[in-house]
Amino acid sequence: MSIFQQLGAAAALPEILLAIMAMVLLLEGVFVTAHTPNTIRWGAIASMVAVAGLVIWKSGSGSVEAFGGAFVADGFARLMKVLALLGGAVTLAMSGKYLARTRMDSEEYPVLIMLASVGMMVMISAGDLISLYVGLELQSLPLYVIAAINRDNAKSSEAGLKYFVLGALSSGMLLYGASLVYGFTGHTDFAGISAALAKTGATPGVVFGLVFIITGLAFKVSAVPFHMWTPDVYEGAPTPVTAFFAAAPKIAAIALFARVMVGPFAGVTHSWQQVVIFISIASMAFGAVAAIGQSNIKRLMAYSSIANMGFALVGLAAGTVEGVEGLIVYMLIYLATTLGTFACIMAMRRKGIYVEQISDLAGLSRNDKGLAFVLAMLMFSMAGIPPLAGFFGKLFVFLAAVKAGLYVLAVLGVVASVIGAYYYLRIVKLIYFDEAAEKFDGADMELAIVAYASLAFVLGFIVFAQPLVNLASAAAKSLF
Amino acid sequence: MVQAILFLPLIGAVIAGLFGTKAFKQLGTDDEVYADHAHNAPSVEHSHDQHGYNGPPWPMYLTTGLLCIGAVLSWIIFFGFLQGGHDGEIELLPWITSGSLKAAWSIRLDALTAVMLVVVNTVSALVHVYSLGYMSHDESQPRFFAYLSLFTFAMLALVTANNLIQMFFGWEGVGLASYLLIGFWYTRESANAAAIKAFVVNRVGDFGFALGIFGVFMVYGSVEFPVIFAHAPDAVGKTIHFLGHDWDTLTTLCLLLFMGAMGKSAQFLLHTWLPDAMEGPTPVSALIHAATMVTAGVFLVARLSPLFELAPHAREVVTIVGAITAFFAATVGLVQNDIKRVIAYSTCSQLGYMFVAMGVGAYGVGIFHLFTHAFFKALLFLGAGSVIHAMSGEQDMRKMGGLGPYVRITQAVMLIGTFSLTGVGIPGIGGFAGFHSKDAIIEASYAGGSTFAFALLVIAALCTSFYSWRLAFMTFSGPTRADKEVLDHAHESPPVMLVPLYVLAAGAIIAGFAFQHWFMGEGQAEFWGAAIYRSPDNHILTQMESVPLLVKWSATIAMLAGLGLAWLFYIRDTSLPKALAAVNQPAYQFLLNKWYFDELYDFIFVRPAKWIGRVFWKGGDGAVIDGLGPDGVSAAISGVTAQAVKLQTGYVYHYAFAMLIGVAAIISWFSFGGIHP
Amino acid sequence: MIGLTHYLTVAAILFTIGIFGIFLNRKNVIVIMMSIELILLSVNINLVAFSFYLHDLTGQVFALLILTVAAGEAAIGLAILVTYFRNRGTIAVEDINMMKG
Repeated sequence: MSIFQQLGAAAALPEILLAIMAMVLLLEGVFVTAHTPNTIRWGAIASMVAVAGLVIWKSGSGSVEAFGGAFVADGFARLMKVLALLGGAVTLAMSGKYLARTRMDSEEYPVLIMLASVGMMVMISAGDLISLYVGLELQSLPLYVIAAINRDNAKSSEAGLKYFVLGALSSGMLLYGASLVYGFTGHTDFAGISAALAKTGATPGVVFGLVFIITGLAFKVSAVPFHMWTPDVYEGAPTPVTAFFAAAPKIAAIALFARVMVGPFAGVTHSWQQVVIFISIASMAFGAVAAIGQSNIKRLMAYSSIANMGFALVGLAAGTVEGVEGLIVYMLIYLATTLGTFACIMAMRRKGIYVEQISDLAGLSRNDKGLAFVLAMLMFSMAGIPPLAGFFGKLFVFLAAVKAGLYVLAVLGVVASVIGAYYYLRIVKLIYFDEAAEKFDGADMELAIVAYASLAFVLGFIVFAQPLVNLASAAAKSLF
Repeated sequence: MVQAILFLPLIGAVIAGLFGTKAFKQLGTDDEVYADHAHNAPSVEHSHDQHGYNGPPWPMYLTTGLLCIGAVLSWIIFFGFLQGGHDGEIELLPWITSGSLKAAWSIRLDALTAVMLVVVNTVSALVHVYSLGYMSHDESQPRFFAYLSLFTFAMLALVTANNLIQMFFGWEGVGLASYLLIGFWYTRESANAAAIKAFVVNRVGDFGFALGIFGVFMVYGSVEFPVIFAHAPDAVGKTIHFLGHDWDTLTTLCLLLFMGAMGKSAQFLLHTWLPDAMEGPTPVSALIHAATMVTAGVFLVARLSPLFELAPHAREVVTIVGAITAFFAATVGLVQNDIKRVIAYSTCSQLGYMFVAMGVGAYGVGIFHLFTHAFFKALLFLGAGSVIHAMSGEQDMRKMGGLGPYVRITQAVMLIGTFSLTGVGIPGIGGFAGFHSKDAIIEASYAGGSTFAFALLVIAALCTSFYSWRLAFMTFSGPTRADKEVLDHAHESPPVMLVPLYVLAAGAIIAGFAFQHWFMGEGQAEFWGAAIYRSPDNHILTQMESVPLLVKWSATIAMLAGLGLAWLFYIRDTSLPKALAAVNQPAYQFLLNKWYFDELYDFIFVRPAKWIGRVFWKGGDGAVIDGLGPDGVSAAISGVTAQAVKLQTGYVYHYAFAMLIGVAAIISWFSFGGIHP
Repeated sequence: MIGLTHYLTVAAILFTIGIFGIFLNRKNVIVIMMSIELILLSVNINLVAFSFYLHDLTGQVFALLILTVAAGEAAIGLAILVTYFRNRGTIAVEDINMMKG
């Protein structure tokens, strides 16, 4: 019996393979000069898709533990990993032409995304505070770098620096919380913590530790009041990076959040529920309100994702299987909508220059009917207008909240979504009714494919909702 | 067959409305539609503007064709009943089943239904044909025909109803169609105002009707006619306790239901909408506001005869309201100058006659008058339409005169209509259609013992004769007062408009003596069968036989007197009317202003309602709801947004501080709030 | 006798100093880096202290991992700081303010 088998590392095979592929591609980029960044990029995409395939293929049923319980591969982990990997692969596919046009295409970029993806997968599968921390850092460190990937741009550097400083602070807080939890329960593995808490219940030390851990996680999902980095980083980072930030890490972070809350801290649900309710309401409200004042579309998307995370956290706040199910469905819809929206944003190119002001979209329907329609539908979906996908996402989480007796939360969520609808609909109004601005250059094929696929998802969700909901339901059950 | 009659118009309306109208075809190119509508503001009813209809003609032919089929089928059913057909109930589909409330969609087929089918479908088909010519210059013809067919469907649903809910559906359906058709030329402000007025005044009646339906359900536990009629006598002598007073059940129910009938049939106090409804195209006036919809109230009372027979006090009210309406409308008709308004008041007055017949228990007579009235009143309206058509849209009789030679055929049929309306005939022998039915009502009112109603009806008959002949003389005889230019264009209508006139003229002549036997003669008991219920001590029909000779002749005498007066005023000495008006100025103004009902209602209801509305709008809605609601919230949110955006200073240390504040807040929450295990 | 409480108190004070260092400092990003190290150090003290008192090695493993990751983190942070300096010519915290709202 090899050490490999002893550790049960087979469960982590996808992560290991992806890490190896990342290093192989890095070496290839450095040593094989004949290869262009494009080759590395497609190699990275292929690896990520292949690993996603491996995750699905190995899915089977039930949960497998590795490394003495520090790594858990269950239904929930598999589904969220596939989503995160797809998010990464799609944004990577979309980014090629953008990076080439802006002379940012480097060999490191796809490799960094791959490494971040490994980090996300570890996060999603974390079964121990240590693997949680390592996964989180493995995800965050590449993200700091790619936020600043446009080295000659002050905004990009500033985005990277801000993200780094605040990210490090949040990691510090998370660690401090982890140390307290370790000290007061005597365990770092989730099963041990859970067992210890079942005995003692909520003690001040554990609750303080819990609060600090939530702080760190809330930072990653950019929930208010730990969201401050989001708008600046979204605006400053190159658009493909922003798209990636909005897609994959959010999935991983929310998955980790859910796993930590309903796993080790199931015994103190009442305590963390209050915190999650608070940050959920704050995120929904602040995201909706602050988005109204924006003129940069990436910044708007930042506030939009803050609000979206607030809605997703409504599901978590319920603390029930239905709640987590709603959360998964919500994140699925969020991912599809966000990717489509960023495909549209990356198609905003005028005479070779990428533009990102909302006003640049004015009268788009006159110049590019297809793009205008896709964007309008995505906005309607995000505003939660039935029968588009976004409506069902909100419906699921609100229903879960109501079932859990959190009526006030559900009502406030509906109010926030009404306020939020304003800025989404303002974009639709701009597209269809305002004086036409100059024409865009036309979307690249990758962008068009992503945009139309997203449109199909948003329009067709009502048709194929059932299998997806079943999937989410099974995943949610594996967590409890 | 009867299913086909019921649904053919609906099919026509749906197809023509959905696929024939401009709105559907030009979906997407809104600009053109709007541009067209901007030009569509005919200053007179029938302007020959250059923006004619340029779509395909099939929607018009389709609806007209379907209606004609329906009319033929109706006559077949009707003749079947003349030969002793069988009553039937055809259940089409279960409709509402909620607790003990069950209402199936079914067709009640009996003599009364058959008569109404004939009236509705015949007039509707003829109006459709007539409109092919009359509306040929209008650009939204498909819409017009779709509305007409929709109306016909709703009316048929009303008359074939086997329960009160279905009847209410048809009732409101015709109200809707009426609204749409009165406001057909929606670019005209007066048309919109008239449409709204008709709708609102009808709501008042419908309020009573709805309460009546609720009451019936409460008392009998069902809204199905067979059940209600079977158990009608159970409620005799029972009372409803309401507002500290015991009300006789049947009287209350009947009066509430009659309130609906008053609204729909434009009876006194709720009549104000009918003259204004003349803003609609003339064929609409003929179909809806003369022959069919306005008779729905009469039909309702006849249909519910098993209830009304048991509520003599309610019937007294019906008689009195009918008589007052007949008298009041006839007097107002004396001085009106708009050709369509004269006929509108005449309609109002004739409806009063019908209600008197209902009130005294002579249901068959009332329905007979409804039947003959449909012919001659539709004839008069369509004839008036022909005159208006000839006069290029002029409706004021003071600008007509001497048109006879220009429109010979129209003149001839209008005279037939006038003969029929005024009741030309010799008592005991026979005459025009109106003679048979109207004189029978006057006799019935006497036989029924209501001297009050009898007196009013005779006076109304005199007035009727006077205003009818006044109309005829002012329009067709004497020297012309029309502009020369208009007169040069005056021409007889095309054959497609004349053919319906011929048919209706034939009906106006023969419908009386041809069908008298079944409606109120020896064959009536067999013909009506169970459709109309008369209690065993209702002997009105035999009593009518034995009225004094003077009563039998009274209507004819009144008719001749009216004719003589009209001849004197408008042929012999045309200065007389003015002189008379000058001498009796207050009376003249009183009549000209329709007894000041519009002003009175304006003062009592409209202005206070508007005042209340303004208070609620400015104070309640504007200041409180908008101020604290949408406007206030949006103002608050934009304020909050500005503040929220300011929070995002861009400084890392502020961001870190915000995070720390967050942590501190949560920690404090637990520290002070306590930790619950 | 120095007990667990003392260690925890020291760690808490270090943690607080670290946090304050981040948002009270307006001049130099390097100070922020140092403050972050201080926070991580306080965590390590916590972990080691707990590990000792719990007779459980996990905490020390955790601490070692944190040290490793912190090294990587510092390297990346400094690298980003360098690119920032190249673009703007300053590393004053109050100048990092191009994006806001």
